[in-house]
Amino acid sequence: MSAPERPRESRPAGPPRTSIWFGFASFGAVVAAQTYAILTSPAEGDMGHLQKIMYVHVPAAWMTFLSFFVVFVFSVRFLWRRRENDDLIAASAAEVGATFNGLTLMLGMIWGRPAWGVWWVWDARLTSTLVLFLIFVGYLALRAFVDDPQQKARWSAAVGAIGAINVPIVYMSVTWWRTLHQPPSSPATLDPAYTMGLRLNAIALLLVMIYLIRKRYEIARLERAIEHMAEAAAMGQGGR
Amino acid sequence: MFASNQTFVVAAYAVTWVVLLAYLWRLARKGGRARADYQRMAEVQGAGRRQ
Repeated sequence: MSAPERPRESRPAGPPRTSIWFGFASFGAVVAAQTYAILTSPAEGDMGHLQKIMYVHVPAAWMTFLSFFVVFVFSVRFLWRRRENDDLIAASAAEVGATFNGLTLMLGMIWGRPAWGVWWVWDARLTSTLVLFLIFVGYLALRAFVDDPQQKARWSAAVGAIGAINVPIVYMSVTWWRTLHQPPSSPATLDPAYTMGLRLNAIALLLVMIYLIRKRYEIARLERAIEHMAEAAAMGQGGR
Repeated sequence: MFASNQTFVVAAYAVTWVVLLAYLWRLARKGGRARADYQRMAEVQGAGRRQ
Protein backbone atom coordinates (compact mmCIF):
# COMPACT_ATOMS: atom_id res chain seq x y z
CA MET A 1 0.00 0.00 0.00
CA SER A 2 1.49 3.34 -0.97
CA ALA A 3 1.17 6.53 1.06
CA PRO A 4 -1.30 9.09 -0.28
CA GLU A 5 0.38 11.78 -2.37
CA ARG A 6 0.32 15.36 -1.06
CA PRO A 7 -1.18 17.88 -3.45
CA ARG A 8 1.69 19.41 -5.46
CA GLU A 9 0.53 22.99 -5.19
CA SER A 10 0.71 23.04 -1.38
CA ARG A 11 4.34 21.96 -1.28
CA PRO A 12 6.85 24.83 -0.90
CA ALA A 13 9.38 24.93 -3.76
CA GLY A 14 13.05 25.85 -3.73
CA PRO A 15 15.95 24.06 -2.15
CA PRO A 16 15.39 21.92 0.95
CA ARG A 17 15.42 23.98 4.12
CA THR A 18 18.86 24.53 5.59
CA SER A 19 18.98 22.41 8.71
CA ILE A 20 18.27 24.36 11.87
CA TRP A 21 20.71 22.00 13.60
CA PHE A 22 23.50 23.27 11.37
CA GLY A 23 22.57 26.77 12.53
CA PHE A 24 22.68 25.77 16.20
CA ALA A 25 25.95 23.90 15.69
CA SER A 26 27.65 26.83 13.92
CA PHE A 27 26.56 29.46 16.45
CA GLY A 28 27.37 27.01 19.28
CA ALA A 29 30.85 26.59 17.79
CA VAL A 30 31.34 30.37 17.97
CA VAL A 31 30.36 30.39 21.65
CA ALA A 32 32.75 27.49 22.37
CA ALA A 33 35.64 29.01 20.37
CA GLN A 34 35.25 32.44 21.98
CA THR A 35 35.06 30.91 25.47
CA TYR A 36 38.20 28.84 24.79
CA ALA A 37 40.11 31.84 23.40
CA ILE A 38 39.13 34.20 26.23
CA LEU A 39 39.90 31.70 28.98
CA THR A 40 43.18 30.32 27.64
CA SER A 41 45.01 33.24 26.02
CA PRO A 42 47.33 35.18 28.33
CA ALA A 43 47.47 39.00 28.38
CA GLU A 44 49.72 40.20 25.56
CA GLY A 45 52.90 42.15 26.39
CA ASP A 46 52.02 45.46 24.69
CA MET A 47 48.25 45.36 24.33
CA GLY A 48 47.25 43.40 27.42
CA HIS A 49 43.75 41.93 27.18
CA LEU A 50 42.92 44.16 24.22
CA GLN A 51 44.53 41.42 22.12
CA LYS A 52 41.35 39.34 22.63
CA ILE A 53 39.56 41.54 20.08
CA MET A 54 41.73 39.78 17.48
CA TYR A 55 39.62 36.60 17.89
CA VAL A 56 36.57 38.37 16.47
CA HIS A 57 38.13 41.06 14.27
CA VAL A 58 40.54 38.89 12.23
CA PRO A 59 38.07 36.00 11.50
CA ALA A 60 35.40 38.58 10.55
CA ALA A 61 37.86 40.09 8.04
CA TRP A 62 38.69 36.62 6.65
CA MET A 63 34.98 35.83 6.22
CA THR A 64 34.55 39.15 4.38
CA PHE A 65 37.29 38.13 1.95
CA LEU A 66 35.89 34.60 1.53
CA SER A 67 32.33 35.82 0.94
CA PHE A 68 33.48 38.26 -1.73
CA PHE A 69 35.58 35.53 -3.32
CA VAL A 70 32.35 33.49 -3.60
CA VAL A 71 30.69 36.57 -5.16
CA PHE A 72 33.53 36.82 -7.68
CA VAL A 73 33.43 33.12 -8.66
CA PHE A 74 29.63 32.98 -9.07
CA SER A 75 29.42 36.37 -10.79
CA VAL A 76 31.96 35.25 -13.39
CA ARG A 77 30.13 31.93 -13.71
CA PHE A 78 26.86 33.78 -14.24
CA LEU A 79 28.35 36.00 -16.94
CA TRP A 80 29.69 32.89 -18.64
CA ARG A 81 26.75 30.47 -18.29
CA ARG A 82 23.79 32.78 -17.54
CA ARG A 83 22.32 30.47 -14.92
CA GLU A 84 19.90 32.05 -12.49
CA ASN A 85 21.20 30.07 -9.50
CA ASP A 86 24.72 31.49 -9.94
CA ASP A 87 23.28 34.99 -9.69
CA LEU A 88 21.34 34.10 -6.55
CA ILE A 89 24.38 32.52 -4.85
CA ALA A 90 26.52 35.58 -5.68
CA ALA A 91 23.82 37.91 -4.31
CA SER A 92 23.47 35.84 -1.11
CA ALA A 93 27.24 35.83 -0.54
CA ALA A 94 27.39 39.59 -1.21
CA GLU A 95 24.82 40.32 1.50
CA VAL A 96 26.57 38.09 4.05
CA GLY A 97 29.97 39.51 3.01
CA ALA A 98 28.74 43.09 3.44
CA THR A 99 27.53 42.16 6.94
CA PHE A 100 30.94 40.74 7.88
CA ASN A 101 32.63 43.74 6.23
CA GLY A 102 30.59 46.18 8.33
CA LEU A 103 31.37 44.11 11.44
CA THR A 104 35.11 44.13 10.60
CA LEU A 105 35.09 47.93 10.31
CA MET A 106 33.23 48.36 13.62
CA LEU A 107 35.55 45.95 15.45
CA GLY A 108 38.58 47.68 13.98
CA MET A 109 37.32 51.02 15.30
CA ILE A 110 36.69 49.53 18.76
CA TRP A 111 40.25 48.19 18.74
CA GLY A 112 41.74 51.40 17.28
CA ARG A 113 40.37 53.74 19.95
CA PRO A 114 42.37 52.29 22.89
CA ALA A 115 45.33 51.08 20.77
CA TRP A 116 45.91 54.14 18.54
CA GLY A 117 43.94 56.76 20.45
CA VAL A 118 41.55 57.38 17.53
CA TRP A 119 38.44 55.63 16.23
CA TRP A 120 39.42 56.10 12.60
CA VAL A 121 42.41 57.11 10.45
CA TRP A 122 42.52 57.39 6.66
CA ASP A 123 45.11 54.64 6.57
CA ALA A 124 45.47 52.42 3.45
CA ARG A 125 44.01 49.30 5.12
CA LEU A 126 41.08 51.07 6.73
CA THR A 127 40.29 53.15 3.68
CA SER A 128 40.45 50.21 1.24
CA THR A 129 38.23 48.14 3.58
CA LEU A 130 35.71 51.00 3.68
CA VAL A 131 35.81 51.24 -0.14
CA LEU A 132 35.16 47.47 -0.33
CA PHE A 133 32.17 47.91 1.99
CA LEU A 134 30.77 50.78 -0.08
CA ILE A 135 31.15 48.80 -3.32
CA PHE A 136 29.05 45.95 -1.93
CA VAL A 137 26.50 48.27 -0.36
CA GLY A 138 26.21 49.72 -3.88
CA TYR A 139 25.86 46.17 -5.26
CA LEU A 140 22.95 45.50 -2.88
CA ALA A 141 21.35 48.88 -3.66
CA LEU A 142 21.60 48.10 -7.38
CA ARG A 143 19.77 44.81 -6.84
CA ALA A 144 17.10 46.56 -4.80
CA PHE A 145 16.41 49.24 -7.40
CA VAL A 146 16.55 47.33 -10.71
CA ASP A 147 13.27 45.53 -11.40
CA ASP A 148 14.07 43.47 -14.50
CA PRO A 149 15.63 40.19 -13.19
CA GLN A 150 17.86 39.72 -16.28
CA GLN A 151 19.22 43.24 -16.16
CA LYS A 152 19.64 43.04 -12.38
CA ALA A 153 21.61 39.78 -12.67
CA ARG A 154 23.87 41.07 -15.49
CA TRP A 155 24.66 44.41 -13.87
CA SER A 156 25.22 43.01 -10.40
CA ALA A 157 27.45 40.22 -11.77
CA ALA A 158 29.62 42.88 -13.42
CA VAL A 159 29.77 44.97 -10.22
CA GLY A 160 30.41 41.83 -8.10
CA ALA A 161 33.25 40.57 -10.29
CA ILE A 162 34.94 43.97 -10.56
CA GLY A 163 34.27 44.89 -6.91
CA ALA A 164 35.84 41.68 -5.60
CA ILE A 165 39.12 42.69 -7.27
CA ASN A 166 39.45 45.10 -4.34
CA VAL A 167 39.88 42.11 -1.95
CA PRO A 168 43.56 41.42 -2.80
CA ILE A 169 44.20 45.19 -2.67
CA VAL A 170 42.78 45.31 0.88
CA TYR A 171 44.82 42.26 1.87
CA MET A 172 48.09 43.58 0.42
CA SER A 173 47.54 47.21 1.48
CA VAL A 174 49.59 46.78 4.67
CA THR A 175 52.52 45.47 2.60
CA TRP A 176 52.29 47.88 -0.34
CA TRP A 177 51.88 51.09 1.69
CA ARG A 178 53.19 52.39 5.01
CA THR A 179 50.18 52.07 7.29
CA LEU A 180 49.26 52.46 10.94
CA HIS A 181 47.57 49.05 10.74
CA GLN A 182 49.86 46.20 11.65
CA PRO A 183 50.83 43.45 9.11
CA PRO A 184 48.23 40.68 8.60
CA SER A 185 47.70 38.43 11.63
CA SER A 186 47.73 34.71 10.87
CA PRO A 187 48.62 31.52 12.79
CA ALA A 188 52.05 31.70 11.08
CA THR A 189 52.87 35.16 12.45
CA LEU A 190 51.40 34.72 15.95
CA ASP A 191 52.82 33.61 19.27
CA PRO A 192 51.78 29.92 19.74
CA ALA A 193 49.75 30.92 22.83
CA TYR A 194 47.22 32.66 20.57
CA THR A 195 47.26 30.35 17.53
CA MET A 196 44.69 27.77 18.59
CA GLY A 197 42.19 30.42 19.70
CA LEU A 198 42.44 32.19 16.34
CA ARG A 199 42.12 28.92 14.37
CA LEU A 200 39.06 27.79 16.33
CA ASN A 201 37.34 31.17 15.99
CA ALA A 202 38.06 31.26 12.25
CA ILE A 203 36.58 27.75 11.76
CA ALA A 204 33.51 28.60 13.87
CA LEU A 205 32.86 31.82 11.96
CA LEU A 206 33.38 29.95 8.68
CA LEU A 207 30.54 27.60 9.69
CA VAL A 208 28.35 30.62 10.51
CA MET A 209 29.21 32.20 7.14
CA ILE A 210 28.27 28.99 5.27
CA TYR A 211 25.03 28.74 7.23
CA LEU A 212 24.07 32.36 6.56
CA ILE A 213 24.84 32.16 2.82
CA ARG A 214 22.83 28.92 2.50
CA LYS A 215 19.93 30.42 4.42
CA ARG A 216 19.98 33.61 2.30
CA TYR A 217 20.21 31.56 -0.91
CA GLU A 218 17.23 29.45 0.16
CA ILE A 219 15.17 32.64 0.65
CA ALA A 220 16.39 34.11 -2.66
CA ARG A 221 15.23 30.98 -4.52
CA LEU A 222 11.88 31.12 -2.84
CA GLU A 223 11.48 34.81 -3.75
CA ARG A 224 12.44 34.05 -7.36
CA ALA A 225 9.93 31.18 -7.47
CA ILE A 226 7.22 33.59 -6.28
CA GLU A 227 8.22 36.06 -9.04
CA HIS A 228 7.98 33.28 -11.66
CA MET A 229 4.56 32.24 -10.36
CA ALA A 230 3.32 35.84 -10.42
CA GLU A 231 4.60 36.23 -14.00
CA ALA A 232 2.91 32.97 -15.05
CA ALA A 233 -0.35 34.07 -13.42
CA ALA A 234 -0.20 37.46 -15.15
CA MET A 235 0.51 35.78 -18.53
CA GLY A 236 -2.39 33.40 -17.96
CA GLN A 237 -4.77 36.27 -17.22
CA GLY A 238 -3.51 38.22 -20.22
CA GLY A 239 -4.06 35.21 -22.48
CA ARG A 240 -7.69 34.81 -21.47
CA MET B 1 44.44 50.58 31.99
CA PHE B 2 43.14 47.00 32.14
CA ALA B 3 39.68 48.14 33.21
CA SER B 4 39.32 50.49 30.22
CA ASN B 5 40.73 47.86 27.84
CA GLN B 6 38.26 45.35 29.25
CA THR B 7 35.39 47.70 28.34
CA PHE B 8 36.54 47.74 24.71
CA VAL B 9 36.92 43.94 24.67
CA VAL B 10 33.39 43.49 26.04
CA ALA B 11 32.10 46.04 23.50
CA ALA B 12 33.77 44.16 20.63
CA TYR B 13 32.22 40.80 21.58
CA ALA B 14 28.83 42.46 22.22
CA VAL B 15 28.89 44.16 18.80
CA THR B 16 29.81 40.85 17.14
CA TRP B 17 26.83 39.07 18.68
CA VAL B 18 24.41 41.92 18.07
CA VAL B 19 25.36 42.07 14.36
CA LEU B 20 25.23 38.27 13.84
CA LEU B 21 21.95 37.78 15.70
CA ALA B 22 20.33 40.84 14.10
CA TYR B 23 21.19 39.47 10.64
CA LEU B 24 19.92 36.02 11.61
CA TRP B 25 16.68 37.59 12.87
CA ARG B 26 16.31 39.51 9.61
CA LEU B 27 16.77 36.28 7.62
CA ALA B 28 14.24 34.44 9.77
CA ARG B 29 11.61 37.16 9.21
CA LYS B 30 12.35 37.42 5.48
CA GLY B 31 12.22 33.61 5.14
CA GLY B 32 8.93 33.42 7.02
CA ARG B 33 7.38 36.07 4.77
CA ALA B 34 8.68 34.39 1.60
CA ARG B 35 7.29 30.98 2.64
CA ALA B 36 3.90 32.49 3.47
CA ASP B 37 3.80 34.34 0.10
CA TYR B 38 4.79 31.17 -1.74
CA GLN B 39 2.10 29.17 0.02
CA ARG B 40 -0.50 31.80 -0.85
CA MET B 41 0.56 31.91 -4.53
CA ALA B 42 0.54 28.11 -4.72
CA GLU B 43 -2.97 27.99 -3.29
CA VAL B 44 -4.21 30.64 -5.76
CA GLN B 45 -2.64 28.74 -8.67
CA GLY B 46 -4.04 25.45 -7.43
CA ALA B 47 -7.53 26.95 -7.16
CA GLY B 48 -7.16 28.41 -10.69
CA ARG B 49 -6.20 25.01 -12.12
CA ARG B 50 -9.12 23.26 -10.41
CA GLN B 51 -11.68 25.73 -11.88
